[in-house]
Amino acid sequence: MKEKFNVIGKPVIRQDGKAKVTGQAKFADDYKFPNTLFGVMVRTKSTHAIIKNIDYSEIENDKNIVTIIDASDIKGAKKTGLIRKDQPVFAFDKIVTPGDVVAMLVGVDVDELRILAKKVKIELEELPSLTDPEKSLDPDSPLIHPEFNTNLVVHHPLRKGDIEKGFNESDYIIEQTYTTPHIEHAYIEPECVTAIPLEGDKGIYIIGSIQNPFTVRRIVAEVLNFPLNKVRVEQAELGGSFGGKDDIMCILSARASIAALKTKRPVKIKYTREESILESYKRHPYRMHYKVGYTKEGKIKAMKIDILADAGAYCSMTPYVTWRSVVQATGPYEIENVWTDVRAVYTNNPYTGAMRGFGSPQIVFAQESLMDDIAVSLGLTPDEIRRINGYRYGSITASGQRLENHDVNLMKVLDTACEATNFREKWLENEKHHNRRIPTIEFKDEIINKNLILSDREFVEPEDTWKKGIGLAISFRGSSLGAEGIDAAAAYLSIQSDGSAYLLCGLAENGQGMKTAYSIIVSEILGIPVENIYYLELTTAHIPDSGPTVASRSTVMGGGAVKNASEILRKRFEDFLRSQWQLTEDDLIVFENNKIYVKGKEKFSLSFSEFTALAYKKGICLASIGWYPGPKIHWDEKVGQGKAYFTYVYGAQVAEVRVNIVTGEVYIDKITAVHDPGKVINLLGALGQVYGGVTQGAGYAIFEELSKQNGFPQELNFDQYLIPTSKDVGEIVPIFIEGKDEFGPWGAKSLGEPTLELTSAAINNAIRNAVGERYFNLPVNLEEVILKRKLRPGDIQRGSL
Amino acid sequence: MIPKLNYVAPLSLKRTLKILSENKKKAKILAGGTDILPGFHINSKRFRDIELLVDIKKIGELKLIKEFKDRVEIGACVTFSQICESDTFKKFFPLLVKSAETVGSVQIRNRATVVGNCVNNAPCADSVPPLLVYDAKIEIQSLKRKRVISLQKFLIKPYSTALKKNEVVTKIIIPKPDPDFKGDFYKLGRRRAVAISRISLALLLKKKAGIIDELRIASGAVTPIGARLHELEKFAKDKKADSSTFKELSILMGKKVLQITGLRWSSEYKLPVLQQVFYQLLEKVNEEE
Repeated sequence: MKEKFNVIGKPVIRQDGKAKVTGQAKFADDYKFPNTLFGVMVRTKSTHAIIKNIDYSEIENDKNIVTIIDASDIKGAKKTGLIRKDQPVFAFDKIVTPGDVVAMLVGVDVDELRILAKKVKIELEELPSLTDPEKSLDPDSPLIHPEFNTNLVVHHPLRKGDIEKGFNESDYIIEQTYTTPHIEHAYIEPECVTAIPLEGDKGIYIIGSIQNPFTVRRIVAEVLNFPLNKVRVEQAELGGSFGGKDDIMCILSARASIAALKTKRPVKIKYTREESILESYKRHPYRMHYKVGYTKEGKIKAMKIDILADAGAYCSMTPYVTWRSVVQATGPYEIENVWTDVRAVYTNNPYTGAMRGFGSPQIVFAQESLMDDIAVSLGLTPDEIRRINGYRYGSITASGQRLENHDVNLMKVLDTACEATNFREKWLENEKHHNRRIPTIEFKDEIINKNLILSDREFVEPEDTWKKGIGLAISFRGSSLGAEGIDAAAAYLSIQSDGSAYLLCGLAENGQGMKTAYSIIVSEILGIPVENIYYLELTTAHIPDSGPTVASRSTVMGGGAVKNASEILRKRFEDFLRSQWQLTEDDLIVFENNKIYVKGKEKFSLSFSEFTALAYKKGICLASIGWYPGPKIHWDEKVGQGKAYFTYVYGAQVAEVRVNIVTGEVYIDKITAVHDPGKVINLLGALGQVYGGVTQGAGYAIFEELSKQNGFPQELNFDQYLIPTSKDVGEIVPIFIEGKDEFGPWGAKSLGEPTLELTSAAINNAIRNAVGERYFNLPVNLEEVILKRKLRPGDIQRGSL
Repeated sequence: MIPKLNYVAPLSLKRTLKILSENKKKAKILAGGTDILPGFHINSKRFRDIELLVDIKKIGELKLIKEFKDRVEIGACVTFSQICESDTFKKFFPLLVKSAETVGSVQIRNRATVVGNCVNNAPCADSVPPLLVYDAKIEIQSLKRKRVISLQKFLIKPYSTALKKNEVVTKIIIPKPDPDFKGDFYKLGRRRAVAISRISLALLLKKKAGIIDELRIASGAVTPIGARLHELEKFAKDKKADSSTFKELSILMGKKVLQITGLRWSSEYKLPVLQQVFYQLLEKVNEEE
């Protein structure tokens, strides 16, 4: 394995950066096509109902209507879905959640169409709504999709060892329940897509804010009843996704395509923020019950976990999201006896699907909070309890997989994080200052006025107001898709005769900096400067389907494919030069700094462009397609045992906070994030992942929650749905431990999601260290800190009435 | 969406007043626009029927901060950013500067005006409590007359003021306070920027030999509109400036606010927190030398 690098691991400014910061990058709505029509959605005010009739008579002759599209216009599949076909492109039989769309009005004037959308008469037969997932499996609860005969979407069991024996061998048992809320992705660019009919029966061309062009192609082809090659999907520059521009963009692309083919004109759909939050999918709310048995020395003997996830109205990626949860639910601890059940159920709530973290932020919050409580119960420090139980090389995971063939760096990231923050000393010092607890006001069923008026002795002095806390969380995470599905990626590399190059991979640039990382890989192998590589626009017609850009897999899988494509050319170029220069097998040909030369025989030297001109003249093929298939994995669904992922990454984060025990404010002073992503490809890109992920995780910890009333999301814009600003998170200190791995380019694995999954648990543990109180329900916002529950207005009023 | 409407940007106050007098029912004054534009977006009934927007930002004289011997005047188009950067305000009205710094974000402060904040009269208007404790006055002009009223009288109820349809607020007039006053502004939001106030407080304290000579208190976001709490101010007069008085005052504050607002969804959190932060603010100001 190559140890010294010319470009890999160095800070490289992202290739798309300048265009984006100067406003030149073209996002989906920046694409304008002549004669474009616009689509406006028609929704109901219902949460759960049978559609009896849709009557357009009041509007169909309006001059602003070019056409009206609904389910009757669909030639192919009326219902789609990435895993289960339960989501209609246009609702035709039932309304199952408030975001549902029954029709789309198509015309030129969006404002007029919005007024007309309210005049469609939809006759409904209201059904009782089901918004509490705890009641989903009750026999008398309404069925959301009667065709499946149950509201159970999926059940992942995991059985290891003998759970009863484990509890019997334990000295102590703790049982806790944790909850997490619906979370909005909050990508800054709302959904936008344009579908353009291609003349001459060539099908449809789609360009939009699309996370996974190949998935969009598959769904649109199903809906239109087209072969795949007649649906061309291009990704515009993407204004954020975080896992959120998948299913929703499939559905919107399908709607735009139907309308475009019907009107023979381009049709654009552009969502307002309110529509985006109303209709798009969210992160799953989890209710997690943990029972853990451990010895007085701190060795965990048994863990029983019962998790209920709210899938909302549609299946989406729920089976995979919850599968990652079942694999990782115990945390990175070797436990002999584990019994886990993860269930996901339908409700009439907004549907839930993929979001950065994908089933891990919930379980890490619960299980890492629990670890600290075990430590405290035994008089151990949080790092000690983790050292007693944490994974090492050769450890067996809950799913029975032996951790081997890569550096199992859990202890190394833990030690590094503790040393960098002086963790133990600070933690022990803070523990001494719990004498003044939060003056929690006891909640009674009826608030009695006098409870709200303080007594003299309840006042907190200014100097006692702020409490410092430090908290730790660690995790392991399977790289890429694991046993979810087929895992392979392709890359196309085409060197031009002047030494410049085109590069394209079948995965998508969703802001993570993938284009630059791939260019760095090519540069490392062929010695071409990164700036001489033009990364092509991703269109499904030009590159093999490489699966979705999800699961922090673009570096490990796409990077593997780019490396393969580069190595194919390197081998071909070397073979050509060996015969051209009559070298022996022992001669070492070096590709670096835009030059090719033979080590020790400097007369054999060419600039890269001289070489490509020569090779071109000699008829050498200067292009290649690389392919990187994921290693084999296997999974037994009945008992949740198997080799879940081909490799893992490890992380540790330490949060340092101040908690105001009067107001409940939590100030995040510093997050130290230690991650082993394998090899770092672009240092700037890696740092960016940490800054972004930690900030998103901080929002999950203390701010974010999408509340609902009868299934309707209540916070429809960013004046109410609060994400952190740059002022809300203090210093973020990323530290990378580069473990060796045989997979991925030079062992580069995953980083994007681990950065987010740890932060809420680290912050929650820091809050406990500050105030001596444990919080079980995210977000730990002002009211949660003071009252240990959430307060919600019956009717939220906007800031400006 | 922005409704179909006409837009004018007169270059003089006189022209503005003429336009307003001719379009009494349908016209609305536009300054920073940071309330009107989001209002359009959510189809707020307050802005739904506007037919004419009269932009006053092109009137030069309204953009000025003017300092006189005994007072300072804030023109109708003076932005929060101007207040944040003004040495005069830093010197004489530090509470207003502190509140201005907490308004929205840099982009919002660059557009939003102090006068607009008062005219909009949201319960959470950040500049209102400081202006109230500084005894600010509002100058209002119509074609025919000019009148000056106290800010307190100007603010009537949430989102409603004494401004008539044919009038423009031309300036806020703030008398320079007695230099013996110490004071502070407090704001609690859900985050540290772009946050709507959940509690805001302004107070000015003048002591004589450890005795409270004058205490001025104004609240925002906890009362229906920003308001002076005269009952508390009277209670404090001539009392010893110490923890025991401050606790009494804070309890009184809690009772007063409960009396004004009744129990609301947020009372269980807000009311105890209000008393605590008010107590702490009193202690903090009292410590200042």
